[in-house]
Amino acid sequence: MKIKQLIEKIEGEAELEFDFQNGLVNDVNIIFPLYRGIEDILRDREARDALVIAPRVCGICNHAHLIAGVRAIEDGLKKAGININLTSKAISLREFTLSCEIIQSHIKWIYLVALPQLSILNRIKPLDSYLAKASWSSNTVVKAMSIFSGQWPHNSYAIPGGVSCDPTYEEIIHAETLLDETIRFMEQEFLGINIEAYMKNQELSESKGDIATIWNLINKQNIQSKGKSHNRFIAFGEHEIFKAGEYSQNRTNEIDTSLVKEHEQPNSKAKSVTYNSLCYEVGPLARAMLAKNNRIMSLYNIHKDSNLIRIYARIDEMINLLLYAKKLLANLHPKELSCTLSKFPKGFSTKGIGAVEAARGSLIHETVIRDGKIENYTIITPTQWNLSPGTSKESGIAIEAMKGSSSAEEASFVFRIFDICSACTTH
Amino acid sequence: MGKDTMESVKKLFTTQSSKVDTNRGEAYYADLYNSCRKRLDELKALPPINNKLDLQAALFDEGIDRRDFLKWASATTAMLMLPASFTPLVADAVQVMNRIPVIWIELSDCAGNSEALLRSDGPKIDEIVLDIISLEFHETLQAAAGHQAEKQLEDAIATFKGKYILFVEGAVPLGMDGQYGTIGAKAETFKDHLIRLSSDAAAVIAVGSCATFGGIPAAAPNPTGAVGVMNVVSGKPIINIPACPANPANMVGVVLHYVLTGKLPELDSLLRPKFAFGYRIHDNCERRAHFDAGEYVEEWGDSGAKNNFCLYKMGCKGPMTFNNCSLIRYNEAVNWPVGVGRGCIGCSEPDFWDKYAYERPMANANIKAPSGGVEKTADEFGLVLLTATGIGIGIHAVASAIAGKKNSEKDAE
Repeated sequence: MKIKQLIEKIEGEAELEFDFQNGLVNDVNIIFPLYRGIEDILRDREARDALVIAPRVCGICNHAHLIAGVRAIEDGLKKAGININLTSKAISLREFTLSCEIIQSHIKWIYLVALPQLSILNRIKPLDSYLAKASWSSNTVVKAMSIFSGQWPHNSYAIPGGVSCDPTYEEIIHAETLLDETIRFMEQEFLGINIEAYMKNQELSESKGDIATIWNLINKQNIQSKGKSHNRFIAFGEHEIFKAGEYSQNRTNEIDTSLVKEHEQPNSKAKSVTYNSLCYEVGPLARAMLAKNNRIMSLYNIHKDSNLIRIYARIDEMINLLLYAKKLLANLHPKELSCTLSKFPKGFSTKGIGAVEAARGSLIHETVIRDGKIENYTIITPTQWNLSPGTSKESGIAIEAMKGSSSAEEASFVFRIFDICSACTTH
Repeated sequence: MGKDTMESVKKLFTTQSSKVDTNRGEAYYADLYNSCRKRLDELKALPPINNKLDLQAALFDEGIDRRDFLKWASATTAMLMLPASFTPLVADAVQVMNRIPVIWIELSDCAGNSEALLRSDGPKIDEIVLDIISLEFHETLQAAAGHQAEKQLEDAIATFKGKYILFVEGAVPLGMDGQYGTIGAKAETFKDHLIRLSSDAAAVIAVGSCATFGGIPAAAPNPTGAVGVMNVVSGKPIINIPACPANPANMVGVVLHYVLTGKLPELDSLLRPKFAFGYRIHDNCERRAHFDAGEYVEEWGDSGAKNNFCLYKMGCKGPMTFNNCSLIRYNEAVNWPVGVGRGCIGCSEPDFWDKYAYERPMANANIKAPSGGVEKTADEFGLVLLTATGIGIGIHAVASAIAGKKNSEKDAE
């Protein structure tokens, strides 16, 4: 039996065609009905035009696209013999704004996707307060970010060699205050306990926060241990709390970007992507596994890559990033240079790769520059990893996870747990 | 299109732009005041379409008192370029905004404007105000999904036929018979979807640079044949609110102006509201004094950058970009691109993605200053009265819309 389900609220929409056998999902076909051709648009332009155009692939992870783009150019310059030593200030500011973007995205996933969709699955009317909470808290953290980035979405403050802003102490304190407000919101409304207690693994069972609602609603559906996929994880971006690497067969290995391959698909503009010819999961769970996050690893040992742990990894990452962002500001050296590349070289030829961890997983930009112009530009987005239809030997990550669901509604929720972005997938 | 010359640069800095005439004499404003008062009373008598939010309660919940609210109302009055005496009217207008049904659709986009509007940006009060707009359909915002959402949209169209305001985000891809973008289970193309929904709308508001001018999808070589709303919709009043993302304050401004006066705001030849797009970024830039003093950032990270000097030589497009960012800024007015030393990329101008993009200082860029393209007769455009039942903007706009398009074509030559 075939059932079609339309999925919206994913920065566009997707259509899922479910094939049911014996009342359970047997296979899924994912269709993205939108294409803009951003990679074609980038061709033959000046190398730095990518920093203005590529971020506009996505309204929600645009900043990650900017950072991936600027890293690709910097990598290319390095390969052309022009070394750029970013100051710790520039690195920290980029990490800070990137973290803020991931935090706001996770907040929206929790309040605009997880809670309303779980309510609907349980035949409960979603609370009106979810929107207000999502709006207030994501707004606050985005404000902290825009002190340095100028605006969000779609800023361009990261430039080859650093950043354009030169924040004063006052501005840094302003950002810290906004971050503290976001943390207070998390403690009072979401976690229901204070953040230190959470980090010390205090039980959340007594919590009256919204996190408890999420657990309750999942348990009622009895889908916590469903959603298992291939148990293979990959991450390409790296900083203090994210580690690059690939995890398969219970082992962590170093990555080799030359093993990443994009594949055209018949009848679709969404390209699939593999690493060493295999499907890999990206996103908060993958990052937690590669960074050896104890809270997540211990749960993983029991539940494997299931719905529950995928959701928990996203929540845990949001809390970790809030603390990390605070630390970045506390250790910022405003007196250092913002940008160490004063003149952008003309007419050079090179090739560069920039990887970054975006809210939904690893994002890779590759630029091939000839005589200062873009000869070819490749964008590999997180959703391409998770939503790939798979290879001839195995199904893609999300498809595998949806198999065995007992209804189209349930499977659609499993799909949404990956935090889908339609705009990014096809771009 | 001619290259920049000293002459055109000189012209750029001296030409009058499409400013709203803010001095029309007491009699004019007294008249306007009375007609607004009358209209608000009529709207007040109508039942709210959707009772979901009570403004007073919402303000209280958000910890905003009456004083803050009136401060916002007076700032918004100023933004709309109305005299200060209209502040109480603006405050009243907010309370009857839920008499106006709004449908919001997303086409070939990145959802950035929805993000800006509903999920992250915008002064707090603007956000509450947006909750009060009777948003009958918005894919991202509503709880319903899948086929249920499709039904909700069809219901809204039927119920508010001819009365709703249609917000459109995203470009319209016309290539390959429109197959680059489809919507819903029946895979209706974006073009057909837009035409169908706009035919029953009272007015169409294109938000963001994609919906207004085609935006990034329309950048050369325009792989999907993307165009803006005004290239597809005819026979309806169209308002363009460009920028990437469009500023939520301007979206609220347009709706509020409509609620208040029953008219669309005055538009320029590109169908942009003059209150927002009548001035260049440069006219009100916080770094303008440094331009006048000849103090520039010469390269990234130099002492000029540290001292917040003018970014013109770093390719700032503020002098040729019409928008009010320098006044209202972004993200609850926390900041804006020039505030972080990046310079303006001209994201609200047609073709910015091809002409302006990265830091090409103006003297080297193949850009003609867009200062001459203002249609002087555009004032007539918005002046269409509303019927007593609430909604229903006349068809006057058609002529103006076509004229607008012709003008922009002329400019392009």
